[in-house]
Amino acid sequence: MSEHRHAHPPKKVEIRVKALESLLVEKGLVDPLALDELVDVYEHRVGPQNGAKVVAKAWCDPAYRDRLLGDATAAIAEFGFKGRQGEDMVALENTPTVHNMVVCTLCSCYPWPVLGLPPVWYKSPPYRARAVSEPRSVLEEFGVRLESHVEVRVWDSTAEVRYLVIPMRPEGTEHFNEIQLASLVTRDSMIGTGIIKPPESVQ
Amino acid sequence: MKALKEKDVWDVLHRGSSARMATHSTAKFVPGSRVRAKSMNHSGHIRLPEFVQGREGVVASDQGAFIFPDEHARGSKRSERLYSVRFEGDELWGNESSQSPTAVFVDLFESYLETA
Repeated sequence: MSEHRHAHPPKKVEIRVKALESLLVEKGLVDPLALDELVDVYEHRVGPQNGAKVVAKAWCDPAYRDRLLGDATAAIAEFGFKGRQGEDMVALENTPTVHNMVVCTLCSCYPWPVLGLPPVWYKSPPYRARAVSEPRSVLEEFGVRLESHVEVRVWDSTAEVRYLVIPMRPEGTEHFNEIQLASLVTRDSMIGTGIIKPPESVQ
Repeated sequence: MKALKEKDVWDVLHRGSSARMATHSTAKFVPGSRVRAKSMNHSGHIRLPEFVQGREGVVASDQGAFIFPDEHARGSKRSERLYSVRFEGDELWGNESSQSPTAVFVDLFESYLETA
């Protein structure tokens, strides 16, 4: 924030946030070091790179795939990925005839241990409304083009269960190892709104 | 209230806190049950989206029992069974949207549902 250039005076909401933060710290309700640590966790340690490892293993190891589809919380915890907003996970596998995508129409519920914190668009009212009412148009805007016979399943995480989409393994990756495969798996492909990177992108 | 300390942040996040609870009640619905989401005039916390109220669907799975958030928001803690309910796109949005198959799966608590 120190690099922020004040070409314009700070907005009212910024002043209000600063005032609230000062009050919370002064009253001892928030430890600023704990706040920095929280930010660091979700900036550097927990993010979609975790989910990508889960997906890549599911592609390579049929027994792991079965465990993931049977009890996603336990299978994901095999990597040590667990905790807040991932306590009760379900994995949804895309197939040639079924495409899954995830939304939280009521707020912004999202599987933090495997994907980190949600992107801004995931929390936006237009995505939350249109993902359920016109999912195919939304998918097209994200660059996901599906044949008309493919069934789109939209999962609304209104309660306590959090969902992870297992995208389809791209063709031409038969000789790839798990690390190479994981590098193809994008965050949006695990929300169901994006595509996998092309195999040529692997270094 | 005690402030979260820097050294405890990772443990607290990693431990999480599941809202899953034990239940002794028998499930009112099973996978395949045809159900209707009730129309509820409710002021306060609720996890029943308006777009499914009054609509019919089919129970896809029994997710187990969880703390019922509507009452938890008012300070009381009891468990209630949660179901994933499948609603067809046609049922929610009319036939215009039906050129291609779409379905919306919504996690709904038992008291939001009645037999259709």
